[in-house]
Amino acid sequence: MKETNLKEVEKKTYMSYHQDGLIDILVGIYVLMFGSGILFLTLTDFSTLFVVIPAIFPAIMIPVWISAKKRITMPRIGYVKFRSRGAYRLMAVFLGLMVFGLGTFMAFTFASSQGWALTLRNLVVLNGMIIIGVAAATISSLFAYTMGLKRLYAYGLLTLVLFLIGHFITIPFGYFLVTIGLVIIITGFVLLMRFIRKYPITQGDKKNAEKSL
Amino acid sequence: MPKNPSNLKNIDRLIHEPTRLMIITQLYVVESADFLFLQHQLQMTPGNLSSHLSKLEEAGYVEIVKEFVERKPHTALKLTKKGRSAFKEYQQNLKQVFSALPK
Repeated sequence: MKETNLKEVEKKTYMSYHQDGLIDILVGIYVLMFGSGILFLTLTDFSTLFVVIPAIFPAIMIPVWISAKKRITMPRIGYVKFRSRGAYRLMAVFLGLMVFGLGTFMAFTFASSQGWALTLRNLVVLNGMIIIGVAAATISSLFAYTMGLKRLYAYGLLTLVLFLIGHFITIPFGYFLVTIGLVIIITGFVLLMRFIRKYPITQGDKKNAEKSL
Repeated sequence: MPKNPSNLKNIDRLIHEPTRLMIITQLYVVESADFLFLQHQLQMTPGNLSSHLSKLEEAGYVEIVKEFVERKPHTALKLTKKGRSAFKEYQQNLKQVFSALPK
């Protein structure tokens, strides 16, 4: 048996555990809230709450996701514990993103004193939509490759296309985020409905399975 | 026929059986999984899966861990060290058999 075949089995296992759409719904809500926060901030002056909520959302998101997995996914398809290799790969992606983020932050900090950095900042500001679109598509693709979830490529592509359009058409940035968030949430709910229909809870079968061991 | 047919004798027949090979492959790529997960992944009936798991457990390839997760009983299945090394050896032996075949 080739090593690649084993990797395929590993990816298939990972994908089957994340076919419930829960992660999509939570990520979609986050993007939607972030987009709405930006929009409300543009329209009114007292909507700091809409920016604060997306900031604390990841801290709430992980326990909610774990709880939803326990209540929805595990009773239907069972429980699996993955080997740490996948976690290390995800950690590497996170570290890479952190280094990239810090680099960008430093470039902007230098922009106040250094001439070259000021030029860079102007370049970033002028092509902001393209840069964000490319960055989002790259991050989505990295996660899609690491996690083996192909739909993340589609989310990345959607973001890139919308942001490229946004570079040429003057529409507030928040509307693009709201659109992306809604698309991800809808996809998540479609996946969740499909998952629930495909794997109904059969308590009898579960008990028989436990007894037979 | 392979040049060295004795390689075929080294093939672990317990693992070589297609259903058990599927079970071992599935458990090889994860740390542990429960009965329900294996049943769904491998599209097997509880009885069939249970009988194959018993054979693998008897051989010391699979460990059945009964534990409590949030005060509820939970049965996790994992490949033992013996099971992992037996699977690796099986892979190598199978490779040798095929490499000995004339092209």
